[in-house]
Amino acid sequence: MSEKVSDDVRQKNRKAFDLFGKHLSKQQIRFLAAGHLDILESERKGAGFIDRTSGKQFIDAFSSAGSFNVGRRNSQVIDGLSGLHDTDMGSHCLLTSSKVELATRLAAISPGDLKRVVLTGSGADSIECALKLALGATGRTDIIAMVNAYHGHSGYSLSAGGKDYYKELFEPLKPGFSFVPFGDLEAARKAASRNTAALILEPVQGEGGIHVGSDEYLRGLRALCDELGIMLIFDEIQTGFGRTGRLFYSEYSGVVPDIMTLAKSLSGGVYPNGAIVYRDIEVLTKFVDAHPDFHESFGGGSDIGCTISCRVIDFLFENRVWENAAKRGETFRRGLDDLMKSYPKIIKEIRGKGLMLGVEYIHEFMGVLMADNLAKEGVFAAYSGNAPQVMRFMVPITASDREIDDILVKIKKAVKGMGLYLALMLPLAKISFFKKILNNVNVLIVVNNFLRKLHLA
Amino acid sequence: MNKTAQKNNGDRDKLLRDAAGVFSKGYVAKMRAEGLDIIEAGGSGPRLFDSSGNEYIDCFTSAATFNLGRGRDDLADALWQAARITDQGNFIAISEEKALLAEKLAAFMPGKLECALFTVVRGEAMDAACKLARGYTGRPGIVTVDGGWYGHTGFSLSMSGTEDRNLFGPGIPEIQMVTFGDIESARKAVSSETAAVVLETIQAENGCRYAENEYYRQLRDLCDRSGAMLIVDESQTGFGRTGKRFSFEYFGFEPDIAVLGEAITGGMFPMSAISFTRTLKSFFDHHPLIHLCTFGGHDVGCMVAVKALELYEKERPWENAKRRGAVLKAVLHKIAAEHKYLIHDVWGEGLLLSIILKDEKKAQRFCVEAKNCGMICTRGRVDRKSVIVRPVLTLSNNDVQDMEECFRKILSAF
Repeated sequence: MSEKVSDDVRQKNRKAFDLFGKHLSKQQIRFLAAGHLDILESERKGAGFIDRTSGKQFIDAFSSAGSFNVGRRNSQVIDGLSGLHDTDMGSHCLLTSSKVELATRLAAISPGDLKRVVLTGSGADSIECALKLALGATGRTDIIAMVNAYHGHSGYSLSAGGKDYYKELFEPLKPGFSFVPFGDLEAARKAASRNTAALILEPVQGEGGIHVGSDEYLRGLRALCDELGIMLIFDEIQTGFGRTGRLFYSEYSGVVPDIMTLAKSLSGGVYPNGAIVYRDIEVLTKFVDAHPDFHESFGGGSDIGCTISCRVIDFLFENRVWENAAKRGETFRRGLDDLMKSYPKIIKEIRGKGLMLGVEYIHEFMGVLMADNLAKEGVFAAYSGNAPQVMRFMVPITASDREIDDILVKIKKAVKGMGLYLALMLPLAKISFFKKILNNVNVLIVVNNFLRKLHLA
Repeated sequence: MNKTAQKNNGDRDKLLRDAAGVFSKGYVAKMRAEGLDIIEAGGSGPRLFDSSGNEYIDCFTSAATFNLGRGRDDLADALWQAARITDQGNFIAISEEKALLAEKLAAFMPGKLECALFTVVRGEAMDAACKLARGYTGRPGIVTVDGGWYGHTGFSLSMSGTEDRNLFGPGIPEIQMVTFGDIESARKAVSSETAAVVLETIQAENGCRYAENEYYRQLRDLCDRSGAMLIVDESQTGFGRTGKRFSFEYFGFEPDIAVLGEAITGGMFPMSAISFTRTLKSFFDHHPLIHLCTFGGHDVGCMVAVKALELYEKERPWENAKRRGAVLKAVLHKIAAEHKYLIHDVWGEGLLLSIILKDEKKAQRFCVEAKNCGMICTRGRVDRKSVIVRPVLTLSNNDVQDMEECFRKILSAF
């Protein structure tokens, strides 16, 4: 703990941790502490925040999985909350001018004939809405989703999830889902039939480890869906609003999905909001006309939320933020590629597009160690609980060149810092028994927390 | 009609046309048919405003969200102050805002409901509750009652008593529906494979029906004996609406999990939650980050919710809900007796009441006439013959008189 932190603050921090452990989850603290991620975010601004437990400035390389595309606490967005009078969320079944304005603007900026909108409350809620629209409109019962996919944790969105870890304790979930490997067009073709209502995927898999859908793959899926009357759903909750260097990732391939799901950055990181945008085609519009309230979302598409989302869109367009993501993304990518060349025993592969980048390490245990080392350097980057070998780098896409250079220097230092651990662990990792133990996240949590305690003592 | 009014109506018509284009024609047609074809423009106290400058008594309150009154400047100020110092935060991180709200909520909740998980839409909160019960017990079965309505996400929809749950193919499996109020029917369904028994104490969307006190206590007993978790959806009945903080207090029992709706922020921020016992929390200690939600436990929202809970504690709106609710119910019964050809009955408790019309068409017309008379209300989603009266809980005596006058005007238009 740094000397910069006063006793008062230290006491406040301790209280926050105690209460969090008492009322929410103790183990979550231990889980995060293992990677030095047990920070408290304060003074959030632009590309980062100050950790109140250490007093250290952090770059936010997670961005709540891509929620801060306008930067943290963007004043142009936040100003929409100043001086509110006689205002609240509004009634979810009544229209307001801001709801109509946001929907109209989403329709205007979405690719192709994605011209119809349903407003929702969150990413998972958008997925629920999209799946229900496809199922209801086609009258079919099957859905194809991707292995390792991540779409949320509510009932149907979880059913579409491609990781057993999140699902197995809550089964049985909605029937009719089949899972095919991401990027494998043939597998999708084999799974598809005239009873398939929808094929859903993140065009760049986020939580699954930053796997980029190629233009050819996405076009192939589009053709397959056209052939069999399947609704193609792109989950652009993480990729949308400029993250990958275009406003929406689908623009790279020119493939227009039948339904696109949105959330995260639509909220500006300030006030929750979500939406689906769907094509103006009869199969979909007919269903919605007949069942206009097929998906009601209390708190979603609220009056205040829509005002804020309009401001987010203003900011993105005024600053053409996606161009920044493309440019800075290239710099970041080049830096990571160079690093991989220098450390081939640590880094296996760099993947991604724009400022949605992933680093895959050689061994699973390296993810936790890297999170730890990065945190020491002032970079908040998360490893995934069930794919800890891949680290996502998703800094706010408003980041400047200097901030990208800075984070690259820090990542380099963190990789260098791995040396000592690796001298010990790499020989062990060659023995399959030890490799198994090392790659067990639960073991790492215990070991790392123990090491931290020794270090602090 | 003066020029300003004409212009405002012109704006309204244009917005409705735009909405038909970008949302759906069916949506706008439905709004017209149900008396909801206004453009909302904020609100204050018991009333909401439209873009033409008209005021309406809000008897919808976004499905029992605005318990503390519409458009409260103190909550708006809390929102602005929160946004100046914090933001959504990284959802995986430890957060002081979340911790402080969790502490505040634990103190606010009755009995042993000391732990929490924060979510966004109320459907998701119910989904999380069912997942927690399945995860904790290791059992798959969910027993719910007929006539309920919990939201539009997977588990919620699969348990709902509305026809629309059949539009999307098979729902979540292992859900069994029993007769509400019939303990024998529950006894037959609940077994050692049952993870949870799920219900609303008062079925807001089903004519505000409720069972005898004894029924809830028997359900509690049944759950205790079988090891099933008792989940109560308080998204419409909670935060004072029935004359108690939570309706399970009114009926004299305690659930293992309570589902809380957007009233947790007084309707200033989209947030819902589940509140549960320490025993159940052990599941989240063994499986941290197992139910993730980017906007759930949003740090700005947590600060707004803390402010709302302070206001609840200070104003104790449940006391007013009890008092005004009793008066309003008596008024409605009187009116019902005078209009027996239209009104079948009046059900409900506190400020969660339902006027049961003779048929669905009459209920629909009631809502349309209500709009014309300066009141916004909706029909029950399950019982389409019912019109739900769920105003803000901060009603004054004058407001109740205004409502009575309004109801009389509505009925005289038939």
